[in-house]
Amino acid sequence: MKKLNLVFALLLLFGCSAQVANTDESRETTEVPTVVETSPVQLSDDIVAGIMQSIPSPIETSLLIKETGAAYSVSNLNDPTIVTTYNDSYRQALNLGVYSTDLGFANLYDKNQDVLNFLNSVKTLADKLNIGQFFDYKTIKELASSSGNVEKLLQLTQQNFERINSHLNDQKRENLSILILTGGWTEALYLTTLVHQKTKNKKLKEKIGEQKVALDQILLVLDFYKNKPNFPSLIADLKELQKVYNRVEIKTISTGKPVTKEVNGELVVEDATVSQINISDADVDLITSLTKSIRSKIIK
Amino acid sequence: MSEEILKALTQLFAIISKQDTGVSDAERNFVISFYQQDLDRETMGEYLALYDKYAEYGLDDEPASGAATATATADGEVKVEKKKRATRVNEAVRVLSLGKKINKTLTQKQKVIVLFKLLEMLVSDRNFTAQRMEIIETLASVFNVSRAEYKLIEAFATAEDASHPNLDSEDILLFDDQPPPEGAKVGYIDSGKLDGEIVFIRVKSVDLYFIKYTGRDEIYLNGQLVKRNSIVLFSHGSIIKTPKGAPLYYSDLATRVNRQAEDHPLSFNIDGIFFKFPNGALGLRNVSLSEGPGKLIGIMGASGAGKTTLLNVLAGLEKPSEGQVLINGFNIHDPEQKKHVEGVIGYVAQDDLLIEELTVFQNLFYNAKLCFRDLDDEALTTKVINVLGSLGLDRIMHLKVGNVLNKKISGGQRKRLNIALELIREPGILFLDEPTSGLSSRDSENVIDLLKELSLKGKLIFTVIHQPSSDIYKMFDKMFILDTGGFPIYYGNPVEALSYFKRQTRQIASDKGQCMACGNVNVEQLFNIIEARVVDEYGEFTGKRKVTPEEWSDQYKQHFNIERRADVREEPPKTLRIPTKPKQTLIFTIRDALAKLSDKQYMAINLLEAPVLALLMSLVIRFRSSEAKEGYLFFYNDNIPAYILICIIIALFMGLTVSAEEIIRDRKILKRESFLNLSRSSYLSSKLIILFSLSAVQTFTFVLVGNLILGIGWGQFITYWLALFSVSCFANVLGLNISSSFDNAVTVYILIPLLLIPQMILSGGIFDFDKLNNAVGQKGKAPLIADVWASRWAYEAICVRQFKTNPYEQMLYGYDWQISQANYRASYWRSELEKAVVACQENLTAKTDSARQVFAQNLALLKRELAEEKQVKDARLAKLVDGLSLTNFNDQAAAQLNDYLARVQVYYGSLQGRMSDARDSVIYAYEHPKGQPERSIADLKNQYHNEQLEKFLKNENSLEKITAEGDRLVQHLDPVFTPPYHVSNVFDYRAHFFAPTKPFGGQMWDTYYFNLVVIWFMTLLLYVTLYFELLRKFVKMFSKVKFTPKATS
Repeated sequence: MKKLNLVFALLLLFGCSAQVANTDESRETTEVPTVVETSPVQLSDDIVAGIMQSIPSPIETSLLIKETGAAYSVSNLNDPTIVTTYNDSYRQALNLGVYSTDLGFANLYDKNQDVLNFLNSVKTLADKLNIGQFFDYKTIKELASSSGNVEKLLQLTQQNFERINSHLNDQKRENLSILILTGGWTEALYLTTLVHQKTKNKKLKEKIGEQKVALDQILLVLDFYKNKPNFPSLIADLKELQKVYNRVEIKTISTGKPVTKEVNGELVVEDATVSQINISDADVDLITSLTKSIRSKIIK
Repeated sequence: MSEEILKALTQLFAIISKQDTGVSDAERNFVISFYQQDLDRETMGEYLALYDKYAEYGLDDEPASGAATATATADGEVKVEKKKRATRVNEAVRVLSLGKKINKTLTQKQKVIVLFKLLEMLVSDRNFTAQRMEIIETLASVFNVSRAEYKLIEAFATAEDASHPNLDSEDILLFDDQPPPEGAKVGYIDSGKLDGEIVFIRVKSVDLYFIKYTGRDEIYLNGQLVKRNSIVLFSHGSIIKTPKGAPLYYSDLATRVNRQAEDHPLSFNIDGIFFKFPNGALGLRNVSLSEGPGKLIGIMGASGAGKTTLLNVLAGLEKPSEGQVLINGFNIHDPEQKKHVEGVIGYVAQDDLLIEELTVFQNLFYNAKLCFRDLDDEALTTKVINVLGSLGLDRIMHLKVGNVLNKKISGGQRKRLNIALELIREPGILFLDEPTSGLSSRDSENVIDLLKELSLKGKLIFTVIHQPSSDIYKMFDKMFILDTGGFPIYYGNPVEALSYFKRQTRQIASDKGQCMACGNVNVEQLFNIIEARVVDEYGEFTGKRKVTPEEWSDQYKQHFNIERRADVREEPPKTLRIPTKPKQTLIFTIRDALAKLSDKQYMAINLLEAPVLALLMSLVIRFRSSEAKEGYLFFYNDNIPAYILICIIIALFMGLTVSAEEIIRDRKILKRESFLNLSRSSYLSSKLIILFSLSAVQTFTFVLVGNLILGIGWGQFITYWLALFSVSCFANVLGLNISSSFDNAVTVYILIPLLLIPQMILSGGIFDFDKLNNAVGQKGKAPLIADVWASRWAYEAICVRQFKTNPYEQMLYGYDWQISQANYRASYWRSELEKAVVACQENLTAKTDSARQVFAQNLALLKRELAEEKQVKDARLAKLVDGLSLTNFNDQAAAQLNDYLARVQVYYGSLQGRMSDARDSVIYAYEHPKGQPERSIADLKNQYHNEQLEKFLKNENSLEKITAEGDRLVQHLDPVFTPPYHVSNVFDYRAHFFAPTKPFGGQMWDTYYFNLVVIWFMTLLLYVTLYFELLRKFVKMFSKVKFTPKATS
């Protein structure tokens, strides 16, 4: 379960740490040779940070999948060898997310060769995106191939991704962050729908419904980049999905006072609220098939 | 003599002698004495009986009975006349048929001798009737002896003395005490006091001399008494001794009669030459010679006496340490004067100097082509065929020469061909080193005959000869004998030599130079005397000589006084007209090409080697990665960088091996042709033309097969071929260099690894240039030590071009390198500088030396690197950086620097983002072409791009992306995307390995073309060293160093 945390935490961190770095616009007095037009709308870091935070943690989702007792099948995951077919930064970023999710999934099931394969794919894509320097693959590999170091591994990768995110922000390349996030999210949703299709697990169904919030947030951010190549079709696809999700209802029911717990020596406040999800089976099926098609476009 | 011929001769004798007056006893006795020379008593009886039968000897003499019956009726007389006429017709027919029979068997010389014999028979009783003469004349015409010549022969045989008017001819020579009358054409040699005269006749067509003595003195020919009025053959090496006068040697006569010699004014004077070997030993001591045209001089001596050395010095191949060799007064060892005697010297070495792969005709033809500029091919062909004909080589004209192991023509034929090569250009002086060694006695004799003939035509010929047969020995005009240590011990008539040495050692019969009975000279005895050893008390030979070389030499000084010829003061005539340099190149090229083409093994291996190796290698490394779903994809072949390296090594190897033996193999031929003063550059150019062509074909087939199998697109074909061809040419010239510097092929082949392995080590493909010994490597630049190896340039050239210009990367390269550079600046460079700022701040107030040093170093780094940042400009900062020093650096300055670096990051970060977007647009545009179905750029990449090569050129396997070296930062990230930096001046060509461009002369050049130019530049340099033989001189300098202590003797 700790392992499960690993990758999804990574994904989350992309988004969550988006507010860490802050550049002062006024300082940019350098003469910038115009090469291509910049995105017309400057996305405020605060906005992005807020959106990222509101995307629910996928930890629960992955746990649920494991709990259903679903068998591991590598064919459900993206093929690590096709990593070289992603040549533009758009696909590279999306699939970095996808592979990260797959890496976590394989790690959850202790499939060591697959873990290495996905790790390699992640490294390749990170290198291509010039963020490879933030990965200490040597240590990651050592930690991943021997069990028992999960804590350390988690900590290390957290640091890595914090730095990556900060780096991308510094360089005004946060569109990559949202793509990595979208890729990871889509892959997680896809895996959930797949398992749900077989098991018809109720919790999974709820989980699928919960993603309505995440999708709304993602689309909100993606919309800023709608003028970049490739983005429009992704946005369009996700909007199709959003149409289905619009029929899903989420009600929040308070169950009492918030509870304070100590986790790893830190105090954490947990809301004592419960979400109630209303989603029809037909919609789940529709989501399942739509996700499948979006995902297949992403990994193409 | 065969039975048949003897029978024919017998009949001829008989028919002639029975004519008119019938057989006389004198004639019969002559015939008997003729038989006695060849036959035993019993057989002689048979033939004599035969003679008697045909000559009707002992029957009633018809003429006698005719005389007795003088009063017989007219009827009877008519009857007799009729019968006679019928007999005469019959006999004429018989003579003709006999003549034809003889024609089939005897040589022309022998036939001339037969004629003399027949005439001599008539002389025996001086009965020259018209009929007899008519028959002999008929026979002469059947024998193809010209009428004029026959008339002279007849006159010579029949005349009683030389004053006969018919004998006034150039081919007659008198040896007498009285000169012939003024205006006579006959030659004359003063004999000293002599009764009568000795008449010489030269039968020009067969070059034979006969003598007839008309006086009453006792004269000896080769120690045998000459009968009065008998006609005797005067053969090579013969001596006539008269009671009172000086002896007459054959050679004196020959030169005297042969006036051609006088047309070639030539003096060859050797004045006291000494020769010192490199080890200091003397090879020749005070050798002096003086010769003119038309002489055949033999040089003899024990082995190791310095014969070949002498010959080499005389021919100008070796420089004497003292003394001089003058041809017509021109010193042949003086580089200036030498020019006047160019082409006058011919040299036939002991070894074969033939091009084995060519035919006899071709060998001579191309040699002749190099000698005669103004003859066209037709005239040359005629000339060559004539020379071949005169040497008896015309029948084997179209046979390949072959080598010693694979014999196509005999040893004698080879030797004659060697001589022909020199002959065809007609040098005035010819040197031959043991032309008869290894030849049968028949072949030896033919060769010396040929030389003799040449000398008679006015050439001066020096021949080293070893243990000649008596006949050969006697053919020499003079013999020069050397003793061990290079002491001259004899110089004079060959036959006299034996007498001289006998006399000096007080042996019996010292006046007999040759065997009384057979006229043979025992050459072996000569050396037995010279080298006779002292016998000890047990009768065993000791190592000590009876007469030491020094003693012989002292005797020589006493007995021989060389009469020095006056130097002819004019340039010797030249027959040599060498063609222009381009023409020479062409001739050399054709000759070499023909030789190579006719060597089928050589051609097959050279042409098949490349494609076979390519096939083998590419099939083995055609690697199908598990990642490649649909069969083989070029992209996934991890072996491509290694393939490129091996291609280069193979090209180098093929280039080296094909050229390494070229000059060594030709060395002998070059030695011979050095006398022609042909252009070295023409020779080398011809080599280059052939080798480069071969390299072009080899590398072409190699790349064709290799690239096709490995799926390297056609677009890169020229990239590979041009680079491999260049490398191969480089190797060719390198190979020629070592080939011209070392003496044998084995040394050269041992050297090849020495030249090849560093090419591999320093190619950059096996060992990372950034990880070499610190002494040789400089971080961030390809090491200088690698720059001298062609492989490094070629490897870089192909790799970079293959990467940069394949259709996939070509589309994206413009963005990729900018993204990479922006990334480097924003991520690595900036952070290193930030670290430097921090380091400066930390050590700002430190007092320890080490800390100050860190401070100074970091400050220097900051100054240098910031000064080179050109894109993010800030005038205030530039000023600040400029003025930064250990004393004025403070926190405020640090803050300013950090502030600037933050801006750098933002600038380059966004540049990277924008470039990345632009790159995505390009890919998007490619994948969504207007009006066409979508396509994937991944397919393009799979087909033309290679993953492993990319990793290699982007240095992806190294974690070290940036390092600080002194006051500069070295970028290890993406070398192929990094333009050269830290260029110090306009002549600085150095850049990091795999740089996409190269700096030189203040400009940037495409790496591929720049590197090829470098390879060709190195090739050119090697050509210069080859032309001036610098390596050879260098090697020679080393070989002078002695490794073993000098043996004391």
